[in-house]
Amino acid sequence: MLDSFEILTTSGVVLWSKSYTPISPSIIDSLITNVFIEERTLPGAGIADDISAANNPPYKHDQHTLKWTTVKELGLIFVAVYRSLLHLSWIDKLVDNIKTIFVDLYGDQLKKPHTTIVECHFDEYFDRQIQQLEKTALNQDTRVAESSALLEEAPPSLVEDSGDEPPPLPGILSRGQSKNYRDPTSNESTLIATPDNSRPTTPAGHLLTGKGGPGGKGSRRARKAANSPLAHASSGDESNSKRTRAGKAAAPKKGRKWDADGLADEDSDTPLDYSAPANGATSGDDEAKERPGTVEKVDQASWGSRTGKGQFVLKDLDDQVNSILATADAKKADSTAASSGIVGSGINAIGGFFRNVVGGKTLTKEDLDKAMKGMEDHLLRKNVAREAAVRLCEGVERELIGTKTGNFESVQKRIQIAMESSLRKILTPTSSLDLLREIDAVTSPSATSLQKKRPYVISVVGVNGVGKSTNLSKICFFLLQNKYKVLIVACDTFRSGAVEQLAVHVRNLKELTSREGGEVELYQKGYGKDAANVAKDAVNFAAQEGYDVVLIDTAGRRHNDQRLMSSLEKFAKFAQPDKILMVGEALVGTDSVAQARNFNTAFGSGRSLDGFIISKCDTVGDMVGTLVSMVHATNVPVLFVGVGQHYSDLRNLSVKWAVEKLLSSN
Amino acid sequence: MENQTVASSVQDWVQAVISPSSPLGLILAVLLVLTIPIALHRSVFKASGLTVLPSILLLGPSGSGKTALLTLFERGTNAATHTSQSPIAVECSLPVGTTAASDKYRSTYDPTNQTHKKFLLIDTPGHGKLRHHALQNITNPKNLKGIIFLVDAATMSAGNGGLRQTADYLHDVLLVLQKRMTGGKAMKALKEVSVLIAANKMDLFTALPAALVKKSLESEITKVRASRSKGLLDSGIGMGEDVDDDKDDWLGETGSSEFKFSQMEEFDITVEVAGGNVTGGDGPGVDKWWKWVSERL
Repeated sequence: MLDSFEILTTSGVVLWSKSYTPISPSIIDSLITNVFIEERTLPGAGIADDISAANNPPYKHDQHTLKWTTVKELGLIFVAVYRSLLHLSWIDKLVDNIKTIFVDLYGDQLKKPHTTIVECHFDEYFDRQIQQLEKTALNQDTRVAESSALLEEAPPSLVEDSGDEPPPLPGILSRGQSKNYRDPTSNESTLIATPDNSRPTTPAGHLLTGKGGPGGKGSRRARKAANSPLAHASSGDESNSKRTRAGKAAAPKKGRKWDADGLADEDSDTPLDYSAPANGATSGDDEAKERPGTVEKVDQASWGSRTGKGQFVLKDLDDQVNSILATADAKKADSTAASSGIVGSGINAIGGFFRNVVGGKTLTKEDLDKAMKGMEDHLLRKNVAREAAVRLCEGVERELIGTKTGNFESVQKRIQIAMESSLRKILTPTSSLDLLREIDAVTSPSATSLQKKRPYVISVVGVNGVGKSTNLSKICFFLLQNKYKVLIVACDTFRSGAVEQLAVHVRNLKELTSREGGEVELYQKGYGKDAANVAKDAVNFAAQEGYDVVLIDTAGRRHNDQRLMSSLEKFAKFAQPDKILMVGEALVGTDSVAQARNFNTAFGSGRSLDGFIISKCDTVGDMVGTLVSMVHATNVPVLFVGVGQHYSDLRNLSVKWAVEKLLSSN
Repeated sequence: MENQTVASSVQDWVQAVISPSSPLGLILAVLLVLTIPIALHRSVFKASGLTVLPSILLLGPSGSGKTALLTLFERGTNAATHTSQSPIAVECSLPVGTTAASDKYRSTYDPTNQTHKKFLLIDTPGHGKLRHHALQNITNPKNLKGIIFLVDAATMSAGNGGLRQTADYLHDVLLVLQKRMTGGKAMKALKEVSVLIAANKMDLFTALPAALVKKSLESEITKVRASRSKGLLDSGIGMGEDVDDDKDDWLGETGSSEFKFSQMEEFDITVEVAGGNVTGGDGPGVDKWWKWVSERL
């Protein structure tokens, strides 16, 4: 069953909500941060056109599944939360219908500026909608069941069983019934059916009311709603009703319908019925037999009116809701069928062109397609990996469809602005990336906190030849300037000359910074040792000797070599680095996405990358697309940018700078 | 010759118009008589109606309770909220019993006191990726009267990650405000800014009292300031293109070893700290904040 349904605005105010079981608000918060703000869309999610909840990938969090849809122009989000274990086939339809109804009813209120208050009495609409959908869904189920029952011949043994034993299985019963009722003449069927059916129907009904009780509201209507679909017996009853409708059209049903209905309903939950059929005379039995059929007939034919007579308000609601949904459907159909006729299209084209210049044009997919293609090409020219470029463009397109251009604003301009904000969003880190303060927090924890002083461990990973050692030295230089005591660990125990290379760096750094009070040492165990063990020893050593920062250099490895990558997990477990940084070179093109992704997942389930260092940015000019590709693939922020050959050529990423470079045309 | 003919034709035309015999002049006159008062009325009253409501800006990290406070101020009751993605401006009015500072000298029985002073409360998303909305609102103020910076007092103990992030954000906000004084002409419009650091969630057991919140924020901002000055340059700076010297990134008194909020007064920024709670078992306790707001209006 549904846990909760919420309607909220993008500004964070819940307009309406209904929860059946209390759920933590953090579930929806995490949906918002992950899906809407950080755009961690799930793999395989295509372009969601914001129309239907079915097209939006469900979001799973903490045993709950969330289905959602949005209305952009009103800034609304509709979220349904249910347990992941359940399979609710009607949930998409529910979310969509509620969206349509809510927007239709309260759209005017939502457009009011400077208020968050929306007067809504939405509970009834929602309840009705849920009931309706549950019913149709279950009707479908039973229909399927029925058809299968009709298709396969009911085994004779089961039919006999249903006659003998007082509490038969409902499924079996239904088969028996449906089989019986396919007999052509009604009279005969009554005679044959009497012994079989009179008894079982009531217990079945009784059982089912018992089941429906807690779920339903206790009112007769609710129980009925819960009852009839739940009862597998109804499949039989349905066919039964068909028969009555076909065969007894002439019979004066109208008058009797109501008594029978009322009576039958009362009967279904009185235990008296257990005994009644047992001593049943033929006439009594006949009545009893006749009842279920007529009851179901009423249910089938005049559900709405029946409930309507009971509760006029609900009837009104139903009509209103249905008409809202119907008009929405019609509108949709219209919009697809529109743009016919030569004259009309001609005028449209001229008007569209005009509005393209002047502005105030409502953007459609067709308008955007061409311009988006241009934007995609532009991004590709900037060395953004195709996958990232396509996703960025899809995101922008999704954002723009249905919006209006401003005065004297062309489509291209609009796309440019949207792309800029979307690039900025993707590159801006979620939290501050102040490395020095993080180091301080670990190496000199405040007296009140319970943490012990320990060295801060940074390790650097990456593909061969991207500049791991060079960037490690640059970071080291930066730290030394801030007077930290640094230990460099040579965990590249594999490539010839790797240790010596680091030794040279350490020697240079010592010379450069000894005057300023920096201290740096190299920790090395030669070649051929296990890197993870060396790292672990080094961290212990650093803790004993009072080093502030440990920088671990690792061997370069191809990201799609499973054998080499698998050792990273052990490495992360042994060395327990505070930061794992991946070095990616700005020169790499499409491969950047795969590199980032593979390295991000290589450290086991509990660990991922903490940041990227994009090296060699000075060699690519404007084509800094790798930044975007890597961040796009992993949602890991860029920590540093390498911009030159010297130790001091390391920079923080300035988002403004990167966005300007990416969008500059040349 | 041509000029003459043109002039004469114009003369003819004008004569035809103003001569009392023609109905055209009459119609024109009637039209003018009718439209001028209407136009005048519209222009005069529209100008006076266009006064922008005074606005108060809500800032703070994600989860500090900005939207909750917004709904509380607007409705008087709590409403369920979630993470915000977009800013929203809401019209609020001062509650009964508080008078705006601008109404200070009015008589108690002045009927204008009966109508509540209205103001706009602007909520901004606190998520790290969406803070540009907030900074936009600071740099582009429309009758901005004050800034409420909400913090979660329960995460303000030293060494807490929440404190670090809050201090980061507060540092950035104050720095933007400070730069407005030193540079920028457009921003000068906003003469004096008051910032209220509203220590929210005082109903929680772990919450620090307002004085301690102030102290820990000050010491944390000292650290932020120090590490910012020591940190790496941003990419783009000193790389050949557009060298805009934004060296003046030191918050507060230059050369001071410790940051104090009182240092901001040099830049016409007053910072106050007050505790309160938006939700809680005993109902919301936001009186101090209301008082602060009323003093700004």
